[in-house]
Amino acid sequence: MKLTIDQRWDLIDKIAKQTVTFGEYKHTLKDAIGELTIKPFTGIPIAIAVMYAFWSIFGSFAGFFTDGFFVRLFNAYWLPWLQEVFPGQGGWLYAIMVDAGGIEGGEFVLSDNCLESFGVLTSGLFVAIGVVLPAIVIFYLMLALLEDIGYMPRLAVLIDTMLHKIGLHGYAIVPTILSLGCNVPGVTATRILETKKQRFIMMTLLAIFIPCGAQIGIMQDVVPGLMGWILLYLIIGYFIFGYILNKIVPGKAPEFLIDVPPYRRPMLSNIGKKVWGRITGFFKVAIPFVLLGAAIVGVLYQLGVIRFLGDALAPVFVGWFGVPKETAGPLIAAFLRKDLAVAQLSVIEMTEYQMITAVVLVSIYFPCVATFAMMLKEGWKELLGAMAVLTVVVFAYGGLIHLIGILLGVA
Amino acid sequence: MAGKSSVAAIYFAILGIVTTAFGIADILVTAGASEFAYGILEISGDLFRGGWGGVIVLFAGLFYLSGIRNFDDIHQFSKVVMGSILIWIMAGCDIFAMITESIPSWEEETGPWFNTLDGFIGTYAPPYAPAVLLLPFSLVVVYYIRKRKQEI
Repeated sequence: MKLTIDQRWDLIDKIAKQTVTFGEYKHTLKDAIGELTIKPFTGIPIAIAVMYAFWSIFGSFAGFFTDGFFVRLFNAYWLPWLQEVFPGQGGWLYAIMVDAGGIEGGEFVLSDNCLESFGVLTSGLFVAIGVVLPAIVIFYLMLALLEDIGYMPRLAVLIDTMLHKIGLHGYAIVPTILSLGCNVPGVTATRILETKKQRFIMMTLLAIFIPCGAQIGIMQDVVPGLMGWILLYLIIGYFIFGYILNKIVPGKAPEFLIDVPPYRRPMLSNIGKKVWGRITGFFKVAIPFVLLGAAIVGVLYQLGVIRFLGDALAPVFVGWFGVPKETAGPLIAAFLRKDLAVAQLSVIEMTEYQMITAVVLVSIYFPCVATFAMMLKEGWKELLGAMAVLTVVVFAYGGLIHLIGILLGVA
Repeated sequence: MAGKSSVAAIYFAILGIVTTAFGIADILVTAGASEFAYGILEISGDLFRGGWGGVIVLFAGLFYLSGIRNFDDIHQFSKVVMGSILIWIMAGCDIFAMITESIPSWEEETGPWFNTLDGFIGTYAPPYAPAVLLLPFSLVVVYYIRKRKQEI
């Protein structure tokens, strides 16, 4: 049986009359609060408060486990025990696996903490378990809560106008925030953006300006007082270079439509599953790379490669970026693990401003190898393009930060 | 009903003024890079808690003040509720920080792993941050939320 257009509309009317109830909808408190969180005038202060809570709880939780228990466990028990039982003290295997130590007065001296020992089983495990694990657990827990309450789509709507200035739209907040946990799922999440241009801009910005949870965790641990400045430099860079990329990269940046769900009470089982899935996923990627990174950096140190590169690149590091030449080692290590690199930076003697510059450089310098692999999976052309942008950004932004320091008289 | 609403409006107007004053004080103390303590009140001078946190307390005060006019309207009332939610966020973070601070001993080498009972209790002793002091007063909004639910 074939219906005419009028008959179809009649049928629709009949069905609607039987199934739809019409009445006056009364706004509930939940609706009104939902509206407040979307309107810029009221939504931005709320977003500022949500982000504050995110970082405050992140800092307290990570500090509780890392500084409260793990630092002591690793420095006072694990490191001395390994230093004693591992054979071949002073040898190359000992240096790579347990403690590279140092030379004082011509004698080999053991390190007294896991950040300075640079061994796979000491620094590697301490960073992975003592620092990164608590940071990642609380990060993903908070993220899952915000998602399940229904706040994330509202944040996307709120930040949409701002992200349009850099060729993206509100949904770009999802890969950006995911990258604050780990850049690998962040790069994968760029697929929610519609055009090649948007995906390229997003992937490049993530690789350069978004520090992962592991790096944030270790920054919180070793340079807590400088965190604000470091993040400020990264956020400013994110928008400046995003704006430039939007101007020079050809392609479209379309508008987006989003369904904003009502606020809901989060389900514990959902939160648990999400957090567990993300943590296990992260650790499958991160743990091997942290340990492998520690081993490769150890080998490079033992072979004198790092010292050679430090000497060769000294004019660039000292003259252009204004940081000590010893930062060459951590910057090379940053390709393997950025968290490990920040830990290494923390034991180099430098001024506060040099530390800010060095940590920002570690962040904007080459993405870690896991992110690199993920970007390659998304397309080699995109990867090459991102690397070209990255090289320009490192030199331009690194030099600019140094210049700001000189102008302020702190560099 | 109108009388009760005006009582609520007056209450939240006073709370709004105090909260706004605390927010401004937070920002000023942070700008001066110092700490301020008076009786049970302590204002942190660090950029995160004092500065960023101060801005949030200031916004909470402004939410209260902007919501008191026509208090019975759901959209206006939601602003008052949001003012309280911002205070709860700030105070919740401060209390969570106290809890995490009170449990370990923070000894780096030797000694007990956990805090002593005195040390544990001592962490919760005054002085408190402005948001913690404002917390009990902000909870009054819960009464009005319940009352509104019952009326519906």
